[in-house]
Amino acid sequence: MDRHDGFREFVLARQQALMRTAYLLTGDAHLAEDLLQSVLIKVVGQWAKLARDGSPEAYTRKALVNQYISWRRRPRPELPSADVPERAASSDEAALDRIVLRQALAKLGPKQRAVIVLRFWEDLTEAQTAEVLGCSIGNVKSQTHHALARLRTIAPELAHLLNDPEIAEVTR
Amino acid sequence: MTRLRSALDGIAAEAPQVNLLDAAIAGHRRRRRATIALAAAATAAVVGLTSAAVALPWRWGAAPPVPQQTAVVPDLPGGNVGVLSHAYRTPCKRVAEPRGIDCDDVEWRVVTAAGKTYRVPQALVHTAGNHDAPVALSRDGHTFAYYSRQAQAHVVRDMVTGAEVTVPLPEEEIEVGSMLAVSDGGRYLVFDPREGTRYPGRLIDTRTGKRTTINGKYEPVTIKDGVVQWIRYIKTDLWFMPVAGGGKPVRFDGRFIAPSELAPDGRTVVAIDGEDVRAARPMLTVLDVKTGRTGRQVAVSGLPSNRGIVHPTRWHNATEVEVRYSGKGGWALYAVNVGTGKARLLKKYGEVASLTLPGEAAGVLP
Repeated sequence: MDRHDGFREFVLARQQALMRTAYLLTGDAHLAEDLLQSVLIKVVGQWAKLARDGSPEAYTRKALVNQYISWRRRPRPELPSADVPERAASSDEAALDRIVLRQALAKLGPKQRAVIVLRFWEDLTEAQTAEVLGCSIGNVKSQTHHALARLRTIAPELAHLLNDPEIAEVTR
Repeated sequence: MTRLRSALDGIAAEAPQVNLLDAAIAGHRRRRRATIALAAAATAAVVGLTSAAVALPWRWGAAPPVPQQTAVVPDLPGGNVGVLSHAYRTPCKRVAEPRGIDCDDVEWRVVTAAGKTYRVPQALVHTAGNHDAPVALSRDGHTFAYYSRQAQAHVVRDMVTGAEVTVPLPEEEIEVGSMLAVSDGGRYLVFDPREGTRYPGRLIDTRTGKRTTINGKYEPVTIKDGVVQWIRYIKTDLWFMPVAGGGKPVRFDGRFIAPSELAPDGRTVVAIDGEDVRAARPMLTVLDVKTGRTGRQVAVSGLPSNRGIVHPTRWHNATEVEVRYSGKGGWALYAVNVGTGKARLLKKYGEVASLTLPGEAAGVLP
């Protein structure tokens, strides 16, 4: 048994799910790959401890979000670089929503974007989101409120997504 | 599901399929290698800080053999300077007010085979993005390559004739972990903007300007006799690529790191075992690059006993490989007999930063 066997199983099982989170955070396939790879390098170094504690996925997800925020704080001309597909690629309403949402997400600050991904895609609670971001629940509430308000301003055409009653409930 | 969630799902579904397992394990190995090297050099870095404003009385009695900070070091003149022995960076200064470390005056220096030291202020040390900019020496020490901010180019200089060639490159393309190697005669320059990543490396013909792009996962080891030696740290893939192109990677077990250049026998290299890098008695393993077979192991004797790091480089002769060693006294170079494992001291460099030796692709070791 190789000392990396447990890590191998974890990566093979979870890398695609983690990649989707990374992609939602960065909006760019290459950056998402770089982000996830750099986090997995940290994870393999601490695998023995993480496996013992039984929380490698939670640690990895937390590291992913925090690494993303840290990258965005550095001056990196590539970020944000939402690689927006050609509008003509698809004309159905859902596809248009995705295109507009990608563009709008690219204009959010890193923490606001992370909050949107964690709360509305990962379906984390406020407490869980606060744990991942290492901040208070109050801060999560405020970031969520501001992120949604900014999305509404940037992309009023997304009102039908953002004014959903369930979202209003979440932000109440 | 909310419509926002549905839209986010749609975007997430566009994430490409990835397989990052090997890359993560390889990155971990590379990081361990760098960490081990840094740990070994940490004493050198700390002790090497010149005490501009803070007295360190315990230090004075144990001054390192090189560099001598107090001597006035002349700037590198034009023309014939002579063959180079090595290059290094001056250390940062510890300052009292504001308390901290000041690296503004760090500069590259070169030392000739005759023992003369010169400042090279025109060689960039850190980019505007705060990434290290390495320098490189050809195997024979005749050629010196560095990055010039003023020229926004790599400068390749013949140290005997003084002739220079520039290879344009925007400074921002020097990323974290960039590497540089130059061939004997200075015709070929290898620049890797960010070792071991998807950022492609380049082999540049300085005479014609032709640039050959190399898979970024490979990082350079050396250029010898018209062949660029590359390594990829997933398994240990060694690729001997003629400068005109071609060659095929040979795969070894991923635990092997820091291979030497190709031996005079034309078919083997020696490498160290990454799991064993700070063993009390380091082992060198002979790798046959023609067959991909792992050969015999040689236990090295005669090194100081303080568990430094060992890094094979050039071949000294048909039976001895030169090995960099970093321990308590800083860097030293030994010749290790690959038959008996016996090491003999060739040269001490002391506690210098970014020691750059002839023939090495520079940028990996601290």
